[in-house]
Amino acid sequence: MKNGLTLFLGVFATLALSWAGLLLAAHKQLGALPQFKDPVEETLNPAPLSGLARQGALVYQDLGCATCHTQQVRSNSYDTGENSRKWGERAGYPRDYIRDSVVFFGSSRLGPDLRNVGSRQPEAENLYRMLYAPESKLGGAALAHGMPAYKFLFTERAIGSSQPSYKAVKLPAGFGPAEGVEVVPTARAEALVAYLMSLKDTYDYPTERGLNEPAPAAHAKEGGH
Amino acid sequence: MTTTVSPSRAEQQEIDASAKWPVLVFLGSALAWLLLGGVMQLAASMQLHNPAFLSSCEWTTHGRLAPAAENVLVYGWGFNAAFAFGLWLMARLSATTLRHGGWLFVAAKFWNLGVTLGVGGILAGYSTSFDLLEMPRFVVLLLLAAYALIGVWAVTTFSIRNTENVYASQWYLFGAAFWFPWLYSVAQIMLFRSPARGVLQPIVNAWYVNGLYSLWFAPIALAAIYYFLPKLLGKPVKSYYLAPMGFWWFVAASALAGGSRLVGAPVPVWIPTLGIVCHMLLVLPLVVITINFLGSLKGSLGAVAGSLTLRFIALSIAGFLLAMLLAMVLAVRSVSAVTAFTQWESLRDWLLLYGSFSVAMFGAAYFYLPRLTGKVWRSPALTGVHFGATLLGIVLLVIGLAGAGCTQAHRLADAGASFASITDSLAGWHAFNSVGLGLLLLGNIAFFLNFIWISCPINSRSTASAEIPVPPALTLATKEGHA
Repeated sequence: MKNGLTLFLGVFATLALSWAGLLLAAHKQLGALPQFKDPVEETLNPAPLSGLARQGALVYQDLGCATCHTQQVRSNSYDTGENSRKWGERAGYPRDYIRDSVVFFGSSRLGPDLRNVGSRQPEAENLYRMLYAPESKLGGAALAHGMPAYKFLFTERAIGSSQPSYKAVKLPAGFGPAEGVEVVPTARAEALVAYLMSLKDTYDYPTERGLNEPAPAAHAKEGGH
Repeated sequence: MTTTVSPSRAEQQEIDASAKWPVLVFLGSALAWLLLGGVMQLAASMQLHNPAFLSSCEWTTHGRLAPAAENVLVYGWGFNAAFAFGLWLMARLSATTLRHGGWLFVAAKFWNLGVTLGVGGILAGYSTSFDLLEMPRFVVLLLLAAYALIGVWAVTTFSIRNTENVYASQWYLFGAAFWFPWLYSVAQIMLFRSPARGVLQPIVNAWYVNGLYSLWFAPIALAAIYYFLPKLLGKPVKSYYLAPMGFWWFVAASALAGGSRLVGAPVPVWIPTLGIVCHMLLVLPLVVITINFLGSLKGSLGAVAGSLTLRFIALSIAGFLLAMLLAMVLAVRSVSAVTAFTQWESLRDWLLLYGSFSVAMFGAAYFYLPRLTGKVWRSPALTGVHFGATLLGIVLLVIGLAGAGCTQAHRLADAGASFASITDSLAGWHAFNSVGLGLLLLGNIAFFLNFIWISCPINSRSTASAEIPVPPALTLATKEGHA
């Protein structure tokens, strides 16, 4: 190979082809995916996130939760424990993600998948406790074993003679601060928990339902016409 | 039959003199980043088996520290080391001096400023949360402008070459010089300037990460291997005529292979399928590269043991082949079903970045630093520590990450195992990996001390004007296939 121009054109073609073939083609297919209007309920799905949950997504992003948590439920055609672990009622569809301004797919499951944490753990109280005292027990098992405690998302303040906050997190003995001190979530913690509780892909799109079914056996098609 | 203008020793010295300061500045900053990244990576790894470690300060929680460490190693160490080596090699192979090197200092300043601000941004909470693109948006133009200067220098040096033949290392360097800025700016535009919607974002991210590893780090490692093998063994690359096919096939297939990072994800199924097919197509270039490299090494193991650079290069070849094989195996759908999201995937990427690219850069530095500075390595003990710790650290981490990956894959698939028990069963492996990372850090500290010793002008009276051993002359007259 001696010709610099040939080399340049080849180098250019390599990446141009990859960009057009992969990204542009995917954009053409998915770029304009709309919300789906339920014909009976007349609701738009996926529903947009609430304002507080949107702020929570920013907290999720800035704390780097995606380093250890995925947000993708794989299709049932894999025998991976994906079903039995109940990461979700169903596998994810591309349409589920159009409401997210930043999609946190993640690539490591050092921690559990969080795409449906809102339906697995509907109690905000438990999510607050996970963040403040991950090792505290719930029903015999640690809430979020192995996760660092995010104590800086809470303020600890002496109750003194004033009235205790109605937002104070209830902690089991041994995990809270000293007697007479309460743990109150900051605005960031409230936003983050609102975001986590919003994470549930429960609506099953009739348009997409077939995508995750196993491919029909060949003979099933015979005699179709 | 073409004749190559083979630069004489005097010309080489002139080229080396012109490249000396830019290369030293880039390599010096690279090594500073390498040590910082090593410390951060070690701390992040210790957090995995001791979650309370450094978790009270928001800036050093694992979610910020781990990506920050990765960015330091990739953009701080990896890019600076690649600039140092790539510019020097491009000048050498093009038989022309590196001109107006002063501009490269400006570029180095801007690049390092960009990385500093970017990593600080991640630690301070401005991360974008996209793998290897976590640096906040405000550093992007800084990095691209700095890169433009450096890339233009490499390409200009290539285009004013005084040689007729273009050697394999030059194809890879030339390609990498173009691919990175395109990959980076396309990813920035599609993720942040006019963000794509929904799952297109992770698709763009996977495309970028795959491109960064296989169209930037892998080509630069390959350029180093293609250069040093014939140079130090004193014979042409075995079956060199296959190399062009290996090059084109490797880059064309790996450019399209990014989708295999999304097997099973909620994306249209043709995307991972294309990635898997392209990974399988990599068999052919892998065979070509194996013939080129192992064929050249065959019968020369004595030379490898005798040369520090060749020992690193041989390690880099092993790392490259293992990383490629692992990438192909992990792309298989049924394998990926169990290994996805486990430490196997970290191993695949880490092995290419560290086990192949970084090791090749070490080997290259052991070759060019004495020639640039006209001095010899002061402490053979430190070079011994560096090689030994690097070799042992890589072996430990391969075992540790693979072990963690097996445990994780096996137990995640078993619905009876509670998640907490999986976390517990991984703690031992994480501790094991921390030992490996500590060893690598130790080796790199040894290298850094030696680097200071050889590059610092004041500390060197006794070794100045040392004799640089001239590499063995090529025994064959064939002009193709040697550097």
